[in-house]
Amino acid sequence: MPQESTNICNPKVFETVFRTYAKEVKRFVFFKTRDMDAAEDIVQDVFVKLWGNCSQVAFHSVKGYLFTIANNLFLNTVVHKKVVEKHQQQFSKEETSESPEFILLEQEFLVKLETAISDLPQKQREVFLLSRIEQKKYKEISELLGISIKAVEKRMHSALLVLREKIGNV
Amino acid sequence: MENKIEDINEEVYLAKWLAGEISDADLQELISENDFTSFQKIRTGITIFEHLEAPLDFTFQKIQDKIKSTAETKPKARILNLYTKIALALAATILIFLSINTFFSDQYSIHQTGFGAQEVVILLDGSEVILNAKSELKYNKKTWDNNREVSLQGEAFFKVKKGSKFKVVTKNGEVAVLGTQFNVTSRTNFFEVICYSGKVKVVSKSKAFMLFPNQSIRNYDGKISEERAVILDKEPSWTVGESSFKSVALKQVILALEDQFNIQIDSKSIDDTVIFTGSFDNKDLTIALASVFKTVQLQYTLSNNKVTLSK
Repeated sequence: MPQESTNICNPKVFETVFRTYAKEVKRFVFFKTRDMDAAEDIVQDVFVKLWGNCSQVAFHSVKGYLFTIANNLFLNTVVHKKVVEKHQQQFSKEETSESPEFILLEQEFLVKLETAISDLPQKQREVFLLSRIEQKKYKEISELLGISIKAVEKRMHSALLVLREKIGNV
Repeated sequence: MENKIEDINEEVYLAKWLAGEISDADLQELISENDFTSFQKIRTGITIFEHLEAPLDFTFQKIQDKIKSTAETKPKARILNLYTKIALALAATILIFLSINTFFSDQYSIHQTGFGAQEVVILLDGSEVILNAKSELKYNKKTWDNNREVSLQGEAFFKVKKGSKFKVVTKNGEVAVLGTQFNVTSRTNFFEVICYSGKVKVVSKSKAFMLFPNQSIRNYDGKISEERAVILDKEPSWTVGESSFKSVALKQVILALEDQFNIQIDSKSIDDTVIFTGSFDNKDLTIALASVFKTVQLQYTLSNNKVTLSK
């Protein structure tokens, strides 16, 4: 019997594994699929599979297991997509025009952006993360930090200017 | 360009733009095209960053739900304590008792399909019925040997073994056959029978019709029409994962989409009486919606299992 603290069938251990690796797996899949919804689905299925096979996966090799399953599930979707696309081509020749908003971003750009975000001056970074990750409104942030809304907006504005400068012309 | 940005450093328009308080067009007025493209790209990047860094509670909840739903179909072995075991044993005893009871009292066999599901039902004489999504088939087991009769709501394809008379009863009419293959759709205000082989007798609204292979009869809102259906396959396309329609009101297609995908379609602002001929995929909602509504040139938006149609 594996020890309780390293037995993945133990719901607490399972959750810890999830919290430790889910973001990494999601990122890995996203850069393959370039589709957030598809990535989300795959991440969910990866962990459902892990739970189903929890007794066969050793704690020390769980990371490798997760990425292997993620890759396999991704490849399955590719095969499926190809079939669908081939099928669709027979019906519609013209693709729907993508909105100009949607620009396919290269992984390189995203890595650059992320570094730029983590390098932001502390005050700007704080506002930026509260706004974008915690999804708080400028008003809520101003109450939280005890500064005016204008000040919050200024920090956010400057943060964007800094990002723009760091990233350069794209 | 860079100077311009520095000059207006005290401004907050970028913050407002990112929060959606000012529009793209407004921003374009303020900065150069080059800057605008960059900021747009940064915004897209930020959205991705948000998603990748977003709290995982929602994902974890979803995983729990999925695990739960798979556990229901394939229960895992669990260790139970003594009292649970006793309780389970008691429950099992009661269940056996009840099922013996129902076995003797309940003579009806009922098959129901949920949204997007299909079920193959083999009847007592070996006849085969394929039930489409959101349909119900019911028959009396006790009197089956003398009276081959089933009642149907929804859509089903029948392959009837040769033998005595076989009858399908629906709210919209009856179909009587000897041994043949045919498809029946019976929904509110819509009734259709398509004969694939053999000979089918249909009684609807006190009128009788005889159908031969490749013929169909339809009763839509009280109007009866008879026609030669063009059948290319041996079985209706929905049995192999595609729903197809020939000259039906768009409303019927919308109902079928709702049954297939468990969604709600709001068609208030469009004309749903236009005639539709075509098909949709039964597996992929996105493809299905596109293949139906693009062909009739309607706009649609999908969110939370709700589709809103507009011109």
